[in-house]
Amino acid sequence: MHAITPPPVSHFDEMLVWSGIGPSQAQSQFQTQLQQFGGQSQSQSLGPRGHYVPYSNWLADTPSASLTQRRAQADLLFRRIGITFTVYGEEGGTERLIPSDVIPRIITAEDWAYLEKGLTQRVTAINKFLADIYHDQAILKAGLIPREQIEGNTQFQTKMVGVKVPHDTYASITGVDIVRNNDGKYYVLEDNLRVPSGVSYMLMNRKMMMRLFPELFLRQTVRPVEHYPALLLQTLRESTDIDNPTVVLLTPGRFNSAYFEHTFLAQQMGIELVEGQDLFVKDDYVYMRTTSGAQRVDVMYRRLDDTFLDPLAFNPESALGVPGLFQAYAKGNIVICNAIGTGVADDKSIYPYVPDMIKFYLNEEPILNNVPTYQCRKPTDLSYVLANMKDLVVKEVHGAGGYGMLVGPAATAKEVEDFAAIVKANPSNYIAQPTLSLSSCPTFVESGIAPRHIDLRPFVLTGREVRMVPGGLTRVALREGSLVVNSSQGGGTKDTWVLGEDDAPPAKAVEGK
Amino acid sequence: MLSRVASHLYWMSRYLERSENMARILDVTQSLAMLDRSADSGGAMTPIVITEAQAEFAETKLPATYANVIAFLAWDYKHPSSIRNCIEATRENARAVRGSITSEMWENINDTWIAFQEKSKNIDPMMTGNEFFEWVKERSHLFRGVTFATARRDQPYHFTRLGTFIERADNTARILNVKYAEEAPDTFDEKEVDKETDYYRLSAVLRSVSALEAYRDTYRDVIDARRVAEIMIFDAKLPRSLRYCMDETTLVLDELPTGSGRIARRIASEINAKLRYGTIDEVLEYGLKRYLADFLQDMVKLGNAVNAAYMELH
Repeated sequence: MHAITPPPVSHFDEMLVWSGIGPSQAQSQFQTQLQQFGGQSQSQSLGPRGHYVPYSNWLADTPSASLTQRRAQADLLFRRIGITFTVYGEEGGTERLIPSDVIPRIITAEDWAYLEKGLTQRVTAINKFLADIYHDQAILKAGLIPREQIEGNTQFQTKMVGVKVPHDTYASITGVDIVRNNDGKYYVLEDNLRVPSGVSYMLMNRKMMMRLFPELFLRQTVRPVEHYPALLLQTLRESTDIDNPTVVLLTPGRFNSAYFEHTFLAQQMGIELVEGQDLFVKDDYVYMRTTSGAQRVDVMYRRLDDTFLDPLAFNPESALGVPGLFQAYAKGNIVICNAIGTGVADDKSIYPYVPDMIKFYLNEEPILNNVPTYQCRKPTDLSYVLANMKDLVVKEVHGAGGYGMLVGPAATAKEVEDFAAIVKANPSNYIAQPTLSLSSCPTFVESGIAPRHIDLRPFVLTGREVRMVPGGLTRVALREGSLVVNSSQGGGTKDTWVLGEDDAPPAKAVEGK
Repeated sequence: MLSRVASHLYWMSRYLERSENMARILDVTQSLAMLDRSADSGGAMTPIVITEAQAEFAETKLPATYANVIAFLAWDYKHPSSIRNCIEATRENARAVRGSITSEMWENINDTWIAFQEKSKNIDPMMTGNEFFEWVKERSHLFRGVTFATARRDQPYHFTRLGTFIERADNTARILNVKYAEEAPDTFDEKEVDKETDYYRLSAVLRSVSALEAYRDTYRDVIDARRVAEIMIFDAKLPRSLRYCMDETTLVLDELPTGSGRIARRIASEINAKLRYGTIDEVLEYGLKRYLADFLQDMVKLGNAVNAAYMELH
């Protein structure tokens, strides 16, 4: 038996639902068990949603000891394989494991079909937007976005104006952060267009779950994700017109927090993992230094921010980049993925305009919801934000990784006051959004199984067409009540299952009962 | 293959081999400590001399007892070639190129490193010594086995092997040079040595390079200093002899890209020729110490040439 803490009635939980919703809950063994631990009023009962019934029955049948043992095994495997990330600013043992929860996050086939359609639309529009602002700037001329919002943005690379990017594909790899609110609807929180990471955890979580719990994959049709590296390689190869191009992955090196992912992807794709010092530019072509001499590089999947790429073109202090790289790039002698300057479109001050981009470039209605966003640069929005800070999430427009933000409802009065002063000092640096109550999912924690908030980061690849593997990375905020899922701030991950179309949960669910 | 990757692989296996050799030296030191209870401490310093760590050890200001020497060489952060630092360096180099080695190779090294963290929480050199040294050797053997069984025979494999044999040759020469040439005069005048102590010293030297059984099989006779030197320098079948290491090094270099490697291959072949066509009598006539000093000098040249050919970034 597992000690289970039920989700609050008002919350949207991915697995569990209170009274009357979901056709199959009455037959669930899990329900009985939950009621023993639930302790809610008798008129309400808690049960799994239809698509979670096979899993929750399995969970009810599986002894705690067996689960505990397999979780320990998972930890050992992760440590042995060295699936770690580096925590900045921490002394001594800087390598840490990302906790991987053994309870999966399950998405129905219908939900995924919707998300996939919406993601394709969104990323397509963003790529058109990037091509536009670095060339014709039609969207600015049409007055949809104020010109200073783009040109005054630190992520807007003026050097990229007029530079031809092959096939106008700026964002080859996009990680879109999606959350589900109490209303059960999905919302896009942000589009990560620079160097989104986490895909290796998606792949390792699946590998681990299949290794530890093979029986689960016989109960339900879980769509595979293992071909992601193959799709990524295809995307990178398609980014150039050269036949059989030499593709490399550029890493800042083994002290970078995502180094494991860099090595993993390079190995899976069978391409060289290079550091800046391995490359040099001669006559505007890029070469790598090999044991048999110099070798031309045609495509670079870079995991390094724009500003570090080339000390001659950007930050002159950068020792991680390659002098002369930008010149080679501007001449079309190498493809860099993602393109330089994509960051302008994932900036939080540009985010509110994505629905407008979709209408403007595609002449379509946006499929995915944006979170309503207050832009503190606008005086009316600013005064609203300052007055309602306690109920809002306030973020730095260029921030990432969960730093430089205030979660109003979780903050003390003093914290709110301090943050208000910071916002007032530089309003245009901040946006605010209503606190979405991220959906929760049962998760193994110290006290047993308890609801924890989660998000979802699907990885969208743009080559000659838009492709993605079903699902993505589910991150989970392991601290009770926390909404911050970032691994640097105590977040963990979950395997993400997208069920196959043929998986008819209710019918299968009661099998053998 | 990237030059940087070649360099990491080469140093990865050099450091691993170095940790094994250090364990071998200390293992023997420890068994000699049991014989040499007089604590005159002359013997205790030997491993420090072999690994050229006199200056670092002096800094600790500890008396040169067996226990202190062993603790220093096995565990000390300050000694660059302590087993601790070698394992750390092995793993750091492997981590830098974990995509270029098989996952089994990486996991093996990472496992060693994780287990080492555990072991280092509770250090009692004289009590856990032997078991610990056996463990270090085993981990090194295991890694070579995993490499042999899983790696494709292409450049990463060859650079890994290259590091192993260059490091090993260097080490065998150092053991001979110190354990031996300094203790016994070049003439091997039998009157001068205490027979009994000498037996243990010589067999310890043989054991440190896993050559005791080979010696018995080869000579079927009492252990004498001249033959010990002969087997360790010239035996073509003993995996830790200078000859064997240089045979392997030459073969490995032939597998690497030839364009830039010409000088490295020439130096290796020259060293190898001296071993293939030399005899122990010539060596003793020339002077064992001088001979080994020349050899170590040649190995430095070889290391530099290999570095210039394949690993330099500029």
